[in-house]
Amino acid sequence: MIVKIDNVSKSYNKTSIINSISLTIDKGERVVILGPSGCGKTTFLRMVAGFIHPDKGRIAIDGFTVVNNGKCLIEPENRQVGMVFQDLALWPHMNVYENLAFGLKAKKVPKIEREKRIGTILEKVQMVHFKNTFPGNLSGGQQQRIALARALVMQPKILLMDEPLSNLDIDLNLLLRKEILRLQEELAITMLYVTHDRDEAFSLATRIVVMGGGEIQKTGTVKEVSEYLSKLSRECS
Amino acid sequence: MTKKITLWIAVLLLIVIGLAPVLSMFIKSLFVDGALSLKNYQLLFQAKREWILLSNSFTLAGATTLITILLGVPLGILFSKTDLPLKKLFTILFVIPLIIPPYILALAWFYLCGRSGVVATVFGEKIGIFTSHFLFGFPGTLFVMVSTLLPIVIIMTMTYLRMVNPRLEEAAKLSARWPLVLKSVTIPVIKPGIFLAGLIVFILTLGEFGVPSSLRFDVFAVESFIQFSAFYNFNAATAAAIPLGVITLIILMGERIFLRKKTIQFRLAREAMTIIPLGKTKQFFFIAVITLAFILTALPIGILLIKSFSLPAYNEAFTRSIDSIIRSLLYASIGATCLVALGFFLGYLLERKAFRFSYAADSIAIFLFALPGTVIGIGLISLWNTQATNFIYASIAIILFGYIAQYTALGERIMAATFSQIPHSMEEAAQSVGAGWFRRLFYILIPFAKRGIIAAWLVGFIFCLRDLGITMMVYPPAHDTLPVRIFTLMANSPEEVIAALCMIMIVITFLPLSMLALVLKYMGSKDDSKN
Repeated sequence: MIVKIDNVSKSYNKTSIINSISLTIDKGERVVILGPSGCGKTTFLRMVAGFIHPDKGRIAIDGFTVVNNGKCLIEPENRQVGMVFQDLALWPHMNVYENLAFGLKAKKVPKIEREKRIGTILEKVQMVHFKNTFPGNLSGGQQQRIALARALVMQPKILLMDEPLSNLDIDLNLLLRKEILRLQEELAITMLYVTHDRDEAFSLATRIVVMGGGEIQKTGTVKEVSEYLSKLSRECS
Repeated sequence: MTKKITLWIAVLLLIVIGLAPVLSMFIKSLFVDGALSLKNYQLLFQAKREWILLSNSFTLAGATTLITILLGVPLGILFSKTDLPLKKLFTILFVIPLIIPPYILALAWFYLCGRSGVVATVFGEKIGIFTSHFLFGFPGTLFVMVSTLLPIVIIMTMTYLRMVNPRLEEAAKLSARWPLVLKSVTIPVIKPGIFLAGLIVFILTLGEFGVPSSLRFDVFAVESFIQFSAFYNFNAATAAAIPLGVITLIILMGERIFLRKKTIQFRLAREAMTIIPLGKTKQFFFIAVITLAFILTALPIGILLIKSFSLPAYNEAFTRSIDSIIRSLLYASIGATCLVALGFFLGYLLERKAFRFSYAADSIAIFLFALPGTVIGIGLISLWNTQATNFIYASIAIILFGYIAQYTALGERIMAATFSQIPHSMEEAAQSVGAGWFRRLFYILIPFAKRGIIAAWLVGFIFCLRDLGITMMVYPPAHDTLPVRIFTLMANSPEEVIAALCMIMIVITFLPLSMLALVLKYMGSKDDSKN
């Protein structure tokens, strides 16, 4: 088990955003959190990353408790998580190589190892020729690949993805879904993916967690969740 | 059509009131005895002293810029991005020196470190001589300029930090600790803002004449004033003013060409700013900041307060300057109103790009703002001191023209920022139902922009009230303002009376600020209740 989340809750100004959520994610799993805007899915993801601390509950990553009842025990930089943000957050003043090298340098990875890892990951995302290009000069799809490479080059225990494809047109969205699947399988990485798009969830997940009103409403395989959602829509109509 | 005419009138007013005097001054400096000649400039630059003054000006401006950036950027980060206790109060404390006329701060330090100052009284004459040596000359002038202009770097750092997309820092935080995130991500992203702040500090230091002349450090900005007021050599004063104008122009052109290209467009994020927990270092930073706030703000104001602490001193101060106090308040109020009116239309022009020359009008306003007050003052005299225009030259109008010339950029930029928050569709909706320009102006734009109008008025009021450079040059007889009265009384009046006058100046500057805070709070609560 890579991630274990126990009864985690979070409120803002007395409004409950996350209400007593528990979830475990196993190694190599692709878990997709599916829910409408404002259901708390991004807050949940940011709690795992360490940018938000839950008021109650415990989160453990790779056997280490990272946060317990509001107390942060391990800072984001030491949690060994990678994250792809909705707006990608590529550093505009650094070129592709510098974007990828930043984290490795911070972790004092030796130069030879650093070069090797950057070279390998750029090959995997097919962006070797863009090493010296600045993010502003890349297309949307290329930026997406670099954001993914930046997270993967750190060899994280878990990759968090916050609706990374939501701003792309449908063709590019479909293409990058395939790329993500290919990379995930090649690198055997554990993935926690957040989206509001059912198609995206069904095509990427090995397990889907349906969230609503700050709570988990259903957890299951693609087939189970698909049936649950269909039943739900029938009941509503 | 009426909209175009209104906007053109605003641009023409800026040209006639602001740019024409500077051009007139420049053209006149090229004529000697009616013939075209560079004699004024030859005389000026043949003198070795002028080169020393120019070098002094650059050294002072460069050192002030460097120190304000080294101090101001970390302070801006501490006040906006960390969990430092009382950071709002600290921000206010550090901004106070910017609002007070800088020469008042110089005077306060003189009362503290002068030969017969508080330090000499407490620690003995020898220490007093040492501190006095420090104060009079380069180190003292540098210190006062740093304490006056430090808030500009702090405020601009805070403003730019607010615009940084928090995701950029979070992405870095996944692998690095905060010091590295700040060094490698946050500071490089706000670099254009830091450069701009440095540029403003450099230009303002270059043009400052109150502090260097009070603390006897010879710089170029004082030269034109001396040539004009001491020797009444108008040609030499004009020639001495031109190099500062040219330097300002070169710096601004550099900013337009170089800095604008380098500016990184960051996304305006709606999310709250990422806050850095200071942890164990919190106590250290708190003590460091409180010490700095005490030295830069509390100490000089405290000294003035102690020095003036007697009823007879305040009585005499009021008797000697009540007319100047009333004039100051009146002129600053009228000046601020003119600045808001002109700034409103120029800000609209800039933000809505209403016609092709929007940026040219903005460039003129910024150039005039960056020019030293003494240069604008000489320009105004050069243009309006004729028999035909004596009704302007010999009246309050010349002071108001000076305020408009120098400070229009403030109103313009505040209003442009305000208009950028009002969706174009608001005005377009009114236009589509047949509302003309003036109807849209009074029923849509002004109501929506009321907060910006109040802020622009107040900023204009403060800058007009504290102005010394222009008013000192152009005020007609019996029209002196309080800063001018203090400056002229400084040499031959009892210290406690001058200290009392300085305290009065500080109080009348802060009263409207407090009023604005109350008004904005009231408006905020009213808006909240509407929602």
